[in-house]
Amino acid sequence: MSYFQECLTSGGLLFQEERRALYKYLLEINRDFYTAQAHVLLKEGTVTRSIANGEATFILKNKKVNYSARMLNSPEIHSEIREIKLARVKTRNIRKLQKFFAQSDVDIIRNFPLPSRYPREESGFGISVYPFYTLTYYADGKNLLKGLVRKIRTSDKEILVKLRTL
Amino acid sequence: MPKVPSLLVVGLLAAQFLVLQVTQSPEPSCSLNIERPHYSTSLYEIQNVDAIKLNITSTCNVSQKYTQLSADIQKIQNNREVTAYSFDNQRRSSTTKSPNVVTFKDLIAPCKKGAPISYRGTAQGYVYLEGGKRVNVKGDSGKFVAAGCLIGAQ
Repeated sequence: MSYFQECLTSGGLLFQEERRALYKYLLEINRDFYTAQAHVLLKEGTVTRSIANGEATFILKNKKVNYSARMLNSPEIHSEIREIKLARVKTRNIRKLQKFFAQSDVDIIRNFPLPSRYPREESGFGISVYPFYTLTYYADGKNLLKGLVRKIRTSDKEILVKLRTL
Repeated sequence: MPKVPSLLVVGLLAAQFLVLQVTQSPEPSCSLNIERPHYSTSLYEIQNVDAIKLNITSTCNVSQKYTQLSADIQKIQNNREVTAYSFDNQRRSSTTKSPNVVTFKDLIAPCKKGAPISYRGTAQGYVYLEGGKRVNVKGDSGKFVAAGCLIGAQ
């Protein structure tokens, strides 16, 4: 089993550093897929897809995109988990949506990992409040300049190498 | 039998309703239960990973939508209290089964087995109630307790 497959099974047992690296990895390997999904979303106003043991539905409304999630085959929906505001320029929106999709995939993997022999404890939907693509994440909601410095200093190289190893 | 003006009756009933509302609906209050940070044997058994785990539960006397927390693990180093690990700002929703309670069970920090280090968990944030009100919460796990795994020695 590759480390990436392990991540899909580990879910909530991932360290936050692993989740951040997973975000970068998903953005890297799914760039074309996310672009295609972004085009569908911008054209049709909604797009749904599944990853690990969960499903995300993205809805475009009033220049804002939010997503809801549920475990596969479960009726319980966790609605409007995250939201982003779109810009006027389409190419910029595509880039924003790529990051938004990668972040939501990490959220889904964390909350709805693939079934394993270890029982999953029932709990609500958990997320890191600040998405990995914002400086606010690195600043922990405080000084953005400090966040920028921390972002530059943050290296997930070791975990990314593991993720890239098939 | 003397007649009671209907306006007075309506007024009295309204006053009684208001009094009952005030006395019956409890003032929303929430509290945090922060368990002592401990070495996670289950994580080692499942993933062969060394980690210190911090479990936190927020409980309210009314339904909550979610709890948002900023949590840290403190350690004693050179007789001083320092931050060993800061978790990302976390938000977790309640469940339909337990709408008053939110449990954080995935706050884990990587560590390296070795000499015992004393840790304590702290957290602060707020609970967002179903009615839209925010209640601030804050707490810690009490006294420092030793665990045989050093955070920040990766």
